Amino acid sequence: MTDPHTTPVIAIRNLQRTYRKGGAETAVLRGVTADVGRGEFLAITGASGSGKSTLMNILGLLDQPDAGTYLLDGVDVSRADDDARSTLRSRHIGFVFQQFHLMERATALENVMLPLLYATDEHTDGDARARAALETVGLAHRLTHRPGELSGGEQQRVAIARALINDPSLLLADEPTGNLDERSGAEVMELLRSLQAAGRTIVLVTHDPTLAARADRAMVMRDGRLDARELAGAE
Amino acid sequence: MTTPAGRARRLWRQARLSARLLGAHRLRTALSASGLIAGVATVMVMVALGRGAERRVVERVRALGTDLLVVTAAPAPRIAGRARQVATTTQLRPADAPAILEEVLRARAAAPAVHRTLVVRANGRNTTVAVTGTTPEGLRIRGISAARGRVHDDHEERERRRVAVIGPILAATLFGTDDPIGRDLRIGNVPFEVVGVARSRGVDPGGADLDNALAIPLETALRRVVNVPYVDALYVQGRGTAELEALEADVRAMLRARHRIRDGVPEAFNVQNQAVILRTERAAARALDQLTVGVAALAVVVGGIGILAVMLISVRERTREIGLRRALGARRSDIRTQFVTESVLLAVAGGVGGVALGVLITLAGAALASWSLVIPWSAAALSVAASALLGIGVGTVPATRAARLEPIAALRGI
Repeated sequence: MTDPHTTPVIAIRNLQRTYRKGGAETAVLRGVTADVGRGEFLAITGASGSGKSTLMNILGLLDQPDAGTYLLDGVDVSRADDDARSTLRSRHIGFVFQQFHLMERATALENVMLPLLYATDEHTDGDARARAALETVGLAHRLTHRPGELSGGEQQRVAIARALINDPSLLLADEPTGNLDERSGAEVMELLRSLQAAGRTIVLVTHDPTLAARADRAMVMRDGRLDARELAGAE
Repeated sequence: MTTPAGRARRLWRQARLSARLLGAHRLRTALSASGLIAGVATVMVMVALGRGAERRVVERVRALGTDLLVVTAAPAPRIAGRARQVATTTQLRPADAPAILEEVLRARAAAPAVHRTLVVRANGRNTTVAVTGTTPEGLRIRGISAARGRVHDDHEERERRRVAVIGPILAATLFGTDDPIGRDLRIGNVPFEVVGVARSRGVDPGGADLDNALAIPLETALRRVVNVPYVDALYVQGRGTAELEALEADVRAMLRARHRIRDGVPEAFNVQNQAVILRTERAAARALDQLTVGVAALAVVVGGIGILAVMLISVRERTREIGLRRALGARRSDIRTQFVTESVLLAVAGGVGGVALGVLITLAGAALASWSLVIPWSAAALSVAASALLGIGVGTVPATRAARLEPIAALRGI
């Protein structure tokens, strides 16, 4: 059942998430269903407020659905507690954020090694792995630079190296080019494509249909539902 | 899931990274630890001073001999509410000394002495000093010997010769750099010849300068200077510090019998026991020590509050970093451990810095102000250990606050 070659990395069924603020209830996810296969590059688009961030948080195990199931690598994680979700994040998920979220006082190498602190497996070769990851993103010459000494594109590539270091089954990129100029953005997209070519599974969340068009497949969040509609149908 | 060794390695790596990042925030780290540095440095200096004072007291009492009793003629203290109690005035006589030596087996030596504070004139100068009249045996018991010249002998004692041994400070006061040997001096109006300058003996536990004093033969003092037939003190030397209390009891009993003091009547002489003085002085120094530690503990707590404040600010400032770490797989307990670790690192840095500063001040004080140099390493170790505990204590609140943050909100910096 959990054959790694045929099991989807993500299998979500009828996910629901409702926020309660004061007395008002807002249903943000109203039954989201999707599969993401191994090695696939899926883009999720949608207008702001469409629920794509909430979906992203649930896929990244930062949040929990109120109902529905989420199988990550074939394992039901929809009811995992906080500690278990932390461990799952460490093992299975690499995040790439719009704001990079690098530690300003730490070097590129230290930033990339940060996830190793929380890895349950012992890595005695952490330094070598971090160097290899930075090499993968083309920053072998920037190991001891601090974020302030790097361009935006370089900072985002450090963040991608950090996302790769624990060898996750899933790369979750949330508007990874949102803070970058066009050229750097294109380079980051290129990097993500090459990572996919090397076998990574990537979910990209973006409001930008042209970026989404560069993925294998695009889905649109609308009114709390995810449709595999034609991109032309999105605004 | 992870082995204890694995956990220890992870903690070590986390501590190393925290230390690196704290080091990168140099100014803030220094400011937050400064209160603790000042507190611990204060502890170190105060304890060093206390220990130094204690050591000086011990050295002084030792210099006088811890096998010595001094019996002095003084009225016994009256006890409140016993108005009809008769205070017997006991007059100690020179003959009491040989009697003690004969009857008290624990006594190894005994000598009578008179003490007066008198004006001494010589070389056109005058000064007021402590004059002791005692026998050559008394000089020996009190450790008075000649650095230059000689002290008086038994013959001069019997003949009531007017010879004096003067302390080195008195010698300098009266004669400056001249050689005092053979010179004249007057005690009151009685002329004496200086036959020796005593070896320096420092200061007694009461603070009196033993070098600003002079000694003359007992008989000379009794007949020519004080004109009384009785003495102020009997020096009794025992056979060791351990026996001193037994010796004291023996001497008391013997003197009561000899002076026919009835049972129940308080005796009118005091026995000063050097071992007891040593013990009380020491205890006083220790009490000061404890007070110091109490005051210092307060200073350290104030230092701890400084660290607490900085840690609370740090948690607020680093909300996004906490969110990031959670996203990268940190459990709540990892975040808590991280902040407690940082608090402990700050506190230990403060403790070590305070010890270093305290040692520096003590060394400087020893060099510049001739403090007695005792660096209290046990207090240093205790300070650093207490700082670590303090770090855990004050780190708990900010760490718990950090661990409670929800990852999604924290990532957005809320």
